[in-house]
Amino acid sequence: MTLALALLLLTSQSPAAPPAKLAASIARLFGPGARVDTLRVDTVGVLRVSRADSLLGFAAVGNVLGKDQPITFLVAIDPTERLKDVDILVYREPYGGEVAYEPWRRQFRGKSAGDSLRVGKEIRSISGATISVHAVTLGVRRMLAQLTAWHQSGAIR
Amino acid sequence: MRMLLGWGLFVLMAPFPLQILAAQERTTVGGYGEVHYTNPAGPKTPPVVNLARFVVYLAHSFDDRLAFRSELEVEDAKIEGGQAGGEVSLEQAYLDYRLADWITLRTGLVLPPVGIINETHEPPTFNGVDRPGFDHDVIPTTWREIGVGAVGTVPGRSGLAYRVYVVNGLRAEGLSAGEGIREGRQEGRRASFANPSVTGRLEWARPGVKIGGSFWYGGTADTNAAVGTGTFGAPVALLSADARYESGPFALRAAVANISVSDAQAINAAYGQSVGSRIAGGYLEAAYNLLRLLAPASSQKVNAFVRHERYDTQASVPAGVTRDRSLARRVTTLGVTYKPTWNTAFKGDYQLVRNAAGAGESEVLSLGVGYQF
Repeated sequence: MTLALALLLLTSQSPAAPPAKLAASIARLFGPGARVDTLRVDTVGVLRVSRADSLLGFAAVGNVLGKDQPITFLVAIDPTERLKDVDILVYREPYGGEVAYEPWRRQFRGKSAGDSLRVGKEIRSISGATISVHAVTLGVRRMLAQLTAWHQSGAIR
Repeated sequence: MRMLLGWGLFVLMAPFPLQILAAQERTTVGGYGEVHYTNPAGPKTPPVVNLARFVVYLAHSFDDRLAFRSELEVEDAKIEGGQAGGEVSLEQAYLDYRLADWITLRTGLVLPPVGIINETHEPPTFNGVDRPGFDHDVIPTTWREIGVGAVGTVPGRSGLAYRVYVVNGLRAEGLSAGEGIREGRQEGRRASFANPSVTGRLEWARPGVKIGGSFWYGGTADTNAAVGTGTFGAPVALLSADARYESGPFALRAAVANISVSDAQAINAAYGQSVGSRIAGGYLEAAYNLLRLLAPASSQKVNAFVRHERYDTQASVPAGVTRDRSLARRVTTLGVTYKPTWNTAFKGDYQLVRNAAGAGESEVLSLGVGYQF
């Protein structure tokens, strides 16, 4: 037991190094083997995902402050600017990790920038995870609006 | 809530130069507090106003894995020698070492993960000016002890989270008829570790739903052989379950607990108390957000609620103790919680405090404000 724990301590990956998780997230959302290009908008990177000649959508990574640590999340949209899904890439706090649960994230699917996304209305909260729920909802709302604006202005295409 | 987009270091991960934050030291300050106005019915009991709690939350992240978190509390606004009430204490102070989503190691002054209120006790999170009586006399919130443990979420879609700790035990000397195990807590103050205790919780979450089960098991005898011997001498065994449900304007919550004090007779003989051998009870609370009817577009809340508590700190008594039926309490609370934001609350309630003996019953009007940030 002690030995196993010591091994775990020494070998566990830093939570801030999740390229594998990001790649897995893209594969889950857009299917395996999709082509991923990185577009630069201002100082931010946006992923453009395509297969053959057809555009599958865009994804971007953002951070919001939870109780005392940033929560790193991914928002993906399809070519019609509908939200495909949200992923929590790095969650660093001890309480509130329920925002990574699929049944909670699922509530964002299909939403557009014009849709209302409010905690307690369109987005149900989770007791004991209130701060994270509010933070991620705000972050997703802003990211969705940002991606939509960039797409509409031609900054990403 | 501040956006951290473009903040901190960018991690270059070919081919994605995305803003995943790198390890960075940061200090966070937060807090919560509540002010109460309490007016028991009757001419001889004047109303009282009290700054019940003022808590400062201070946390520091040393890197992505290692963080310190603490809550320093002032109760009743001030302490002065020879005066009743008032307390300055640490509610929590621990180090977290995050290994993965499924396991964070924790050590320090921690909150036993028992029931709803003990871990989630910020005033805007519960209805009623004061915490439920159940969360005072049965589950002794804010319960904190020193120890080590692990917390985390079970990976995958299961929606399960767990917490488990080994902490110092309760002390039999503090157990009482009216407040059960409450004054047996050591709260991190030169605590005896003669009787380590184990405590834990498993909870299941879905949007709008959280269901949890908790336990505590540990000896209380300390070094008093007349009360008990061995690591688990004179054990206290607690089991509890709780549920929270929210859907649209409706919110329901319920909690139950059962505490066995199997050597209550020896404890009573040693310390001249009338501790029950079983402490049990629970409550049921229903709330409705009136703004859903009056102003459906508003994101504010006006929760009208009713809570009924039944608990008895002498649910069973050992030989030599006559049950005091006034300890079989029945408290009904009717009230309103106005929440202009999710983290502020203005509260009012009226409590009917009853017991099975019909002795010393009272009715109490309370008003309060609470915040967290």
